[in-house]
Amino acid sequence: MFSKERMSFDLKARTKEEVIDELIEMLYKDGKLKDKESFKRAVLKREDEFSTGIGMGIAIPHGKDSSVVEPCITFGISKNGIDFDSMDGKPAHIFFLISVPEDAADTHLHILSFISRKLMHEDVRQKLFNAKDFEDVINAFN
Amino acid sequence: MKILAVTSCPTGIAHTYMAAEALQIAAKELGVDIKVETRGSVGAENEITNEDIKGAHAVILAVDTKVDEERFRGLPIIKVSVKDAIKDPKGLIEKAMAMEKKEYVDKVFEAKKESKEKITGAYKHLMTGVSYMIPFVVAGGILIALSFMFGIKAFEQKGTLAAALMDIGGGGAFSLMVPILAGFIAFSIADRPGLVPGMVGGVLAGKLGAGFLGGIIAGFAAGYVVAWLKKVIKLPKTMEGLMPVLILPFLSTLIVGLGMIYIIGGPVAAINNAMANWLKNMSGGSAITLGIILGLMMAFDMGGPVNKAAYTFAVSTLAAGQPSMIMAAVMAAGMTPPLGVALATLIAKDKFTEEEREAGKAAFFLGISFITEGAIPFAAADPFRVIPSIMVGSAVTAALSMAFKCTLAVPHGGIFVLPIPNAVGGLFLYTIAIIIGTLVTGFMIAVLKPKR
Repeated sequence: MFSKERMSFDLKARTKEEVIDELIEMLYKDGKLKDKESFKRAVLKREDEFSTGIGMGIAIPHGKDSSVVEPCITFGISKNGIDFDSMDGKPAHIFFLISVPEDAADTHLHILSFISRKLMHEDVRQKLFNAKDFEDVINAFN
Repeated sequence: MKILAVTSCPTGIAHTYMAAEALQIAAKELGVDIKVETRGSVGAENEITNEDIKGAHAVILAVDTKVDEERFRGLPIIKVSVKDAIKDPKGLIEKAMAMEKKEYVDKVFEAKKESKEKITGAYKHLMTGVSYMIPFVVAGGILIALSFMFGIKAFEQKGTLAAALMDIGGGGAFSLMVPILAGFIAFSIADRPGLVPGMVGGVLAGKLGAGFLGGIIAGFAAGYVVAWLKKVIKLPKTMEGLMPVLILPFLSTLIVGLGMIYIIGGPVAAINNAMANWLKNMSGGSAITLGIILGLMMAFDMGGPVNKAAYTFAVSTLAAGQPSMIMAAVMAAGMTPPLGVALATLIAKDKFTEEEREAGKAAFFLGISFITEGAIPFAAADPFRVIPSIMVGSAVTAALSMAFKCTLAVPHGGIFVLPIPNAVGGLFLYTIAIIIGTLVTGFMIAVLKPKR
């Protein structure tokens, strides 16, 4: 689900849209996305329903779109934090961009649900805040 | 106490599960038992079963999609957006814990209303008629009983209060019984135009000695005759106004009236007399057998068609204006099911949940009020143990009441009519009969119920 190629520990973006673009760019460069615009529309459409900034410094923008090659997560940390219209009004630091193709297999969806559940745990979040590299992120979930 | 929750979000990828986890974490911190069903993109997981619903205190629906709420009926429901469950899971659970479970009595009346809505056809028409008739029987029965207070033959003295009471109860209220029954059966079938031929048919049934049975036939005949006339008579628009005021009442009453006098009256009066004689001369064994059958019927479906059939039959035996053994047996048998379950919750405390024990208290009050439906929630939760238990208890009670030759002059009222002098014949033994049936049901349930 995760890949070194799709991780950034120093996101440059300042705004919600910029950070989504930046994450999508990583995903696209890694060859997991065929159409950036189409997927972005799916993500923003989801954000319109209500922000995926779940508070506690975390945001999980996600989209289900036919342009996605395989289910995966693009991870990013922003040192300064980005206003993501989060539920608690605080800026988000940790971003999980979840991309799922229209016909995702259940195994992948199960992994995503597992990760989503993990994010609710304080200790997991703490480890993610302090993550410096790929290994740290993976370890946070174990 | 257990809380149930369902989480669901539109994409079903992340929030569904985060909300579920958040609720589980919060529940753990609060020491609350929780089961969370997730309805995400992989479908429903950790699905809530009927068993779960039975033992639950409240339901939290953290959903932004449509979910089936019907299955949680009877439980208090908190409905919020999925994000609220992520934001403040603790608050939600605390709120759910504070929710009052729907009152037991409300549940009983809901079940009553529901079964009423479900019934259709001839049975519904009959029940409409019976329900309009019952208050007449109650009022008349109590007034007659009051007259008996002055002595069983006191009303024969003209000008006395006893005679006046008998006139009001017997001559007034009771004489309207069959016409009201027939009228409202027809009303149920054919609406307002049914009332006239129905009531007239009912009066004729009384005059011809066809009684209760004749009234039922008159009511149905009147209703269907009116419905048929409405269909076959086609008038020009300008004369349509004549239908409800002239044509329908006249023609339908003519047809029903002639039918009652020349066709139905005679044979039904004969049946009626035969039945009255049989009831009057019924003794020993056959009386007890009838009591057992009526008792089983009263408890079998607790207010359903079988129960109502026994009850209606019993009310018909009051029509003569004399206290009836059958009415006594039927009321007693209708009281013991809720009383019995109430007793079971007392003697087998450890076999019932705290909520069931609370519900037992409510069942007690429904029982003493002769609301047999009071046992329904218990029976629904465990039909194969509860229903046989209440049937046996009711059969015992009804058989005893018959054996003791107890009588009842009113069709309803539970223990509240017992203090009215002469409403019950054989009050002490009648009370014993009810108590024994209650004990039988209570102990049977207590023994049959498995340990929790």
